[in-house]
Amino acid sequence: MFFFYTVVLPPVLLDSTVNVKHLFIVLIGCILKVQPPKPLAKDRKEWADLEPVPQDDGPNPVVKIAYSEKFSDVYDYFRALLKNDERSDRAFALTAEAIELNAANYTVWHYRRVLLQALSKDLREEMRYITAIIEEQPKNYQVWHHRRMVVEWLNDPSEELEFIADILSQDAKNYHAWQHRQWVIQEYKLWDNELKFVENLLEDDVRNNSAWNQRHFVISHTTGFSDPAIVEREIQYCLSQIRKAPHNESAWNYLKGMLQDRGLSSPPGLLERVLELKETHCSPYLLAFLFDCYEDALENSNQKENVGEEERKDILRKALEICDLLANEKDTIRKEYWLFLGRSLENKSGSRGPSDKPPEPSDPASGQQEMS
Amino acid sequence: MAEEESQFEEFDQIDFLRDRHVRFFQRTLQVLPERYASLETTRLTIIFFALSGLDVLDALDVIDRNVMIEWIYSLQVLPTEDQSNLSRCGFRGSSHIGIPYSTKGPGVLHPYDSGHVAMTYTGLCSLLILGDDLSRVNKQACLAGLRALQLEDGSFYAVPEGSENDIRFIYCAASICYMLDDWSGMDIQKAIEYIRGSLSYDNGFGQGAGRESHGGWTYCAIASLCLMGRLEEALSQRELDRIRRWCIMRQQTGFHGRPNKPVDTCYSFWVGATLELLDVFQYTNFEKNRSFILSTQDRLVGGFAKWPDSHPDPLHAYLGLCGLSLIGEPSLRKVHPALNITQRAFQHLQQLQQTWRDSTGSCSRQH
Repeated sequence: MFFFYTVVLPPVLLDSTVNVKHLFIVLIGCILKVQPPKPLAKDRKEWADLEPVPQDDGPNPVVKIAYSEKFSDVYDYFRALLKNDERSDRAFALTAEAIELNAANYTVWHYRRVLLQALSKDLREEMRYITAIIEEQPKNYQVWHHRRMVVEWLNDPSEELEFIADILSQDAKNYHAWQHRQWVIQEYKLWDNELKFVENLLEDDVRNNSAWNQRHFVISHTTGFSDPAIVEREIQYCLSQIRKAPHNESAWNYLKGMLQDRGLSSPPGLLERVLELKETHCSPYLLAFLFDCYEDALENSNQKENVGEEERKDILRKALEICDLLANEKDTIRKEYWLFLGRSLENKSGSRGPSDKPPEPSDPASGQQEMS
Repeated sequence: MAEEESQFEEFDQIDFLRDRHVRFFQRTLQVLPERYASLETTRLTIIFFALSGLDVLDALDVIDRNVMIEWIYSLQVLPTEDQSNLSRCGFRGSSHIGIPYSTKGPGVLHPYDSGHVAMTYTGLCSLLILGDDLSRVNKQACLAGLRALQLEDGSFYAVPEGSENDIRFIYCAASICYMLDDWSGMDIQKAIEYIRGSLSYDNGFGQGAGRESHGGWTYCAIASLCLMGRLEEALSQRELDRIRRWCIMRQQTGFHGRPNKPVDTCYSFWVGATLELLDVFQYTNFEKNRSFILSTQDRLVGGFAKWPDSHPDPLHAYLGLCGLSLIGEPSLRKVHPALNITQRAFQHLQQLQQTWRDSTGSCSRQH
C-alpha cells in the first residue's frame, strides 16, 4: 500500500487522462500485493560468485519434467551449493526455497540438516518451520523424517502428542502420523494417556482401524494381555462396540487377534455370547469368528480324550453350516474361499491327528507359483 | 477354462481401452508438466511403471529401447577411481544432483551423490524389461551399496545418508539380490526377523512392529519371503492361513489396503499378487474386481486412477493393468507376482542368470 500512495497515486492525480477505473484496478492490485516478481538468483549479486549447475539428462531425456525458469533457477543454485558442500546462511535460506518448490526432494532435506548442525541453527525455530510444512503436506515421508530428527536432537517430545492429534483431526487414518506417534510414545515412554486418546477417537469413529491398532499397541506395551481381567475387559469393550456397529471388521479383528493364540473358545461363555449376537447383530465377521472358534475346538479336541466322536462331528457340522451360510448368503463375494475352507476342514477332520500342511484344493486349475 | 472365457464375453461390456493406455505411457515417458515436480527424485520408478506397463500391454515396440537403456545407465552411481564411494553405489532416481551425464565409469566424486534402494531396484527391472544383459551394471558395487543400507534390526534405509527405514526397502533389497543372483547384499536372517516382527495381531503386515497392517506392506513382506525362498521357513502353516484370511477379506468390490478404508485400484495388485503367492487368488471374485478396476479407467487420456472419476497417474495405471493381468484379462501379458515384471521379462532374467552361472562354472572347471 505504501507503494500505492507514494509511487502510483501522485502522478495519477496529476494526470487528467486517468479515469477512476484505472485507479481502481491499480488499487486492487496493490491490495492483493501484486508486486514485481522476486528476482532470480542468477540476477542477484549475492549469488554472483557461484556458477549455477543445470540438470543434465543427456541427449535423450526420459520422463522430463518441464520446469519454469523460477524453478530451475533455485535448483541450479542448489546444485552448485551442493557440489561445493557450502555451509552458509545463504545456502540455508535457499533450502527453504527449494523445499517450497519440491518438499519431496530428500537431498534438499538432508543438506538442510547438515546446515542446521554446521551453523548451529535454532532448533525450536526449525520445529515451528517443520510444523507448518507438515500441516500443508501431511502425507510426505521426508517431512515426518525431518521432524523426527529435530525432536531427537532436541531430545524434547513435549509438543508431539498434541501436534499429531491435530494432524489426525484432519485425517484420522494418516499412516505417517500414526507411525510418528508410535515412535514418540515408545521412545519417550509417553504411554499414560494414550488409551484415553484411542477411546476418544473410537467414540468419533468406531470403524477407525488405525485407532483399534493403537489400542492393541498401548495395551500390549503396558499391561499386556496375559491377565484374564484385562482380557475380559477388552472382550466387553469389543462386544459393546459391536452392538453399536455390527458391521465392523476392525472390532472383530481385534477380538480374534487378542485371543487367537490363547484359544478362541477359552474365555468362559464367549462362544455363547457370540451365538447370541448372531441373532441380532450378525455380520460376515461374526460368522467367520464362529467358524474359527469351531475350527479351534476341533484342533484342540485331538488332544482331549473326553471329546467324543459325536461331539466332534457336531462341531464339524456347525462349522460347515457356517461356511455354507457365508458362501451362499452372508459373504458371497468370498464364496469360493468359504467353500475351499469348508473342504479343507472336512479333509483335515477326516484324519486322526492334526495335519502339517493344508490339503490340496479340489480345483485342479490352482496355480502354484515357483520361484526357481 | 471354457467357463472362464464365456465369463469374459459377458463382462466385456466394460471395455478395456488398450490403445489409450499405450498412449498414456508413451506420454509419461516424454514430458511431464511442472506440477509433477514432486516426482523428480523418483523419475526412475516412473520409467519403470511406464515400461513395465507397456510390456504388460505387449507394446514395447512403441519406444526406442536403446535411448531408454542409455538414460538408465546414466543414473548408475559408479565407483570412483579410488573406490572410496562403494557404500554409496547403486542407481539414482534422476539427475537432480547435477552430475554431468555419463554412461561410463569411473564415478565422479561428489559429496552428496549416492544411490537409492528403490531406484536400484526399478533401474534393474527396467533394464531387464528392455532386454539389456546388465553387463554394464557394476554388480559388486550395487551389492556393497546395499549392504551399507541394512540396519541392526534387519530393515533398510533408502539412502546411505539416512532416511526412514521400513519393510518397503527390504522388498527392494530382496528384489535386487534376486535379480543379481547374489544374496551377499543382505543379511537374510535379520530381514526375516524384521518381517516377522511386522506381523500384526490381525494377521496382516505393517510397515514395522506394532504398526497397522496394510496391503502394500503385506505384499512387501510376502513377496520378499518368496524371493528369498523362505516363505514356509519363516511362517508356519497356521500363520499363512491367517494371513490368507486377512488378505482375502480386503476384497470389497475391488480391494482396499486396510479394514474400513475405501477400495483403491493399486490394491488389486498389492493384495491380489499376495493372494496369488499364497495360492488362494483363485478364490477371489474376478468379476467384481475387474468391474472396479475398469471403473477407474480414464476413457479420455488413458491410464487408471485410484478411484473412479479421479485423475490417472503412472502408478495406478501400471498397477491397474497388473491387477487385470492377475485375473487373466485376455490381451495382457502375465506378471510375475513377486518380482512385479512380466513373465516374459522374468524369462529373460532366468536366461541371463543361466549364462552367468555357466561362465562361472567354466572358469572353475579350468582351474
